[in-house]
Amino acid sequence: MMLRRALKTFALLAFLIWSILPLTQMALLSFISTLPQPGIEVGSLTLSNYAGILGNPALASAFANSIAYVLINICITLPVAIPAAYAFSRMSFAGDRQLFFAFIALRITPPVVLTLPIFQLFSALGIVNSVFGIALAHCLFTLPVSIWILQSFVSAVPRELDETAFLDGYSRPRFIWTFLLPQIAPGIAVTAFFCFMFSWVEVVFARILTTTNGKPISMAISALFGFQTDIGLVMAVTTASMIPGALLLFAMRNHLSRGFRIGRL
Amino acid sequence: MKSVTNRGWLFVLPSALILSLVGLVPLVTVINYSFFEIFILDQRFWVGTEWYAEIITSGRFWSSFGRSLLFSALVLCIQIPLGIAIALCIPKRQLWVGFALAGVALPLLVPWNMIPALWLSLMNPDSGIIGGLLASAGWTGGWKTSAVQTWIVLLAMDTWHWTSLVILLCYSALTTIPPAYYQAAAIDGAGPWQIFRHIQLPALTHVLLMAVLLRFMDSFMIYAEAFPINAGGPDGATTFLAVDLGEDIKAFNYGPSAARSVIYFLIVVLVAWTFTKAQTRLDRDAKEVAS
Repeated sequence: MMLRRALKTFALLAFLIWSILPLTQMALLSFISTLPQPGIEVGSLTLSNYAGILGNPALASAFANSIAYVLINICITLPVAIPAAYAFSRMSFAGDRQLFFAFIALRITPPVVLTLPIFQLFSALGIVNSVFGIALAHCLFTLPVSIWILQSFVSAVPRELDETAFLDGYSRPRFIWTFLLPQIAPGIAVTAFFCFMFSWVEVVFARILTTTNGKPISMAISALFGFQTDIGLVMAVTTASMIPGALLLFAMRNHLSRGFRIGRL
Repeated sequence: MKSVTNRGWLFVLPSALILSLVGLVPLVTVINYSFFEIFILDQRFWVGTEWYAEIITSGRFWSSFGRSLLFSALVLCIQIPLGIAIALCIPKRQLWVGFALAGVALPLLVPWNMIPALWLSLMNPDSGIIGGLLASAGWTGGWKTSAVQTWIVLLAMDTWHWTSLVILLCYSALTTIPPAYYQAAAIDGAGPWQIFRHIQLPALTHVLLMAVLLRFMDSFMIYAEAFPINAGGPDGATTFLAVDLGEDIKAFNYGPSAARSVIYFLIVVLVAWTFTKAQTRLDRDAKEVAS
C-alpha cells in the first residue's frame, strides 16, 4: 500500500518535471542576452529582454489586443452559452441530440478548412484586422466547449429548484437569472477560464484575420523571427504571455477538474 | 424527466446563429468552391467533381493521409494511457491536488506557434537542456535529417502539449465516483487491477470517448506545431494532410484546396459519427446490465 502510494507520487512528480522542463528552458533563455547590444555581453544574465518588451510599442499593443479579444470573446460566449446549456440539460426538443452533435462537429472541424471563407465573410462584414473579428471567429470553438462545460454544472443543480420556482410563478429566464446563475457561478468561472485558454493561444484564425492591425501576441512573436532573431527577447515575450494565464490557472486550480464532469456527446 | 417543449429552441437559438455565422456559412462556402475552378474570386468555372477525382487518385494525398493517420494513432496510443495513468496518480482530496493540476495544465497556456520554437531551443545541443544532456551522452544532433528522430521530437512535443487535457478530463471523471464504491470493493477484496477495470474504467468511458475524439482531430490536422520543426521534412516524412492543404492555399489554388478541405471535413464527421454510435451502444449496454 505504502509502496504503491510512493510509486504514484513519484510518477506524478516525474510528469510534473517533464511538463515544466521546456518552460524552464524558456524562462532561462528569457534572462540571457542573445544578440550583441551596447554594454551587455552576449550570453550574460540580463533583464534587458524584459525591458525590450516595454520599449517596443508593437509588443505592448499586441498584449492589449490579446486581452481585448479574449474578453470580448468571453462576453459573447457566456450570455449565449448559458441558456443553451440550460436547454440541453433540462429540456427535450425536436432535434436536440442532433443539434448538440452539430455543435461538437463544428468544434472539431479543422480550422484550416474554414480559413478562406471566414476571411471573405469577415472582409464583407468589415471586421477583418479588428479585435472583434478574432473574438467572433474564436466562438467557433469556445462556444461548443462552453456549452459542454456549463451543461454539466446545470445538470448538477437539483431539478426541484426549477420546479419550486415555477410554482412560485417565475418564468424560465427570470429563474435562470435569479436562481440558476448564483448556483453555477463556479461553473461560469471555469468556463470563462477555458474560453480564455483556448482563445489566448490560438494562431490559425488570429493569423489570417490580422494582416496589418489588431495583431495578437502570438503574431507579434512570429514577427520577431527574422534574419537575426533575438531569441532571448522571443522567450521573454512568450514568458510574459503566459503570466495572465498562469495567474488565472492558479486561481482556478481547485475548480479545474469540475469542468468536464459529464460525457454526453 | 426532462420537460418536452420546443421552446428549448429559443434558448439555443443565439448559439446556433453565431455558430452558423462562423461555422456553417463558411463550411457551405467551402463546399461550393470545391466544384469550381477559381481564378479571381468573381471569375469561376464549374468543374464538377474534377478536383475530388484528382485528389483521390493522387499518390500525394494517400501518402500524407497515411502519415497523418499513423501520427494520430501514435498520439492516441501514447497520450490516452499516459493521461489515464497520471490522472490515477493524482491523490483524491489533498491540499496539493490543485497545485498538481495547475502544474500539469501549464503547457496548455503556451501560444501554439511558440511551441516548436520552445522545443527547438530545448533540443539545441549547445544551449538546450535536453539537447545538452543528449550531446554529453554522445548524441550528435542529427534529428533534422533522420525521419525517425524528427517523428520522436514531434511526438514528444505533442505529448508534452496535450496530455494535460486528457489528464484534466480523466481526473474530473474519476472524482465523480462515489467513495462507497471503493469501500465496497475493499470489502470484497478487489485488487488494484479489478478496481480499475470494474469501477474506474466504466466511469471514464464517456470522457475518454471525448478525449479520443478531440486528440484524434487535433493531431490529425496538426500544422502550426508540426511545420516549423522540420518544414515537412526530411524528404516529406512529416508532410501531414494540413501541410499539403497549407501549400495549396499559399499557391492560391482555391478550388483544389476547397476540395481537400471538404474531404478532411468528411473524414472528421465520419469519425465523430462512429464515436457517437459507439457511445450510444455503450449507454444501451450499460442500461441492459443495470436492469
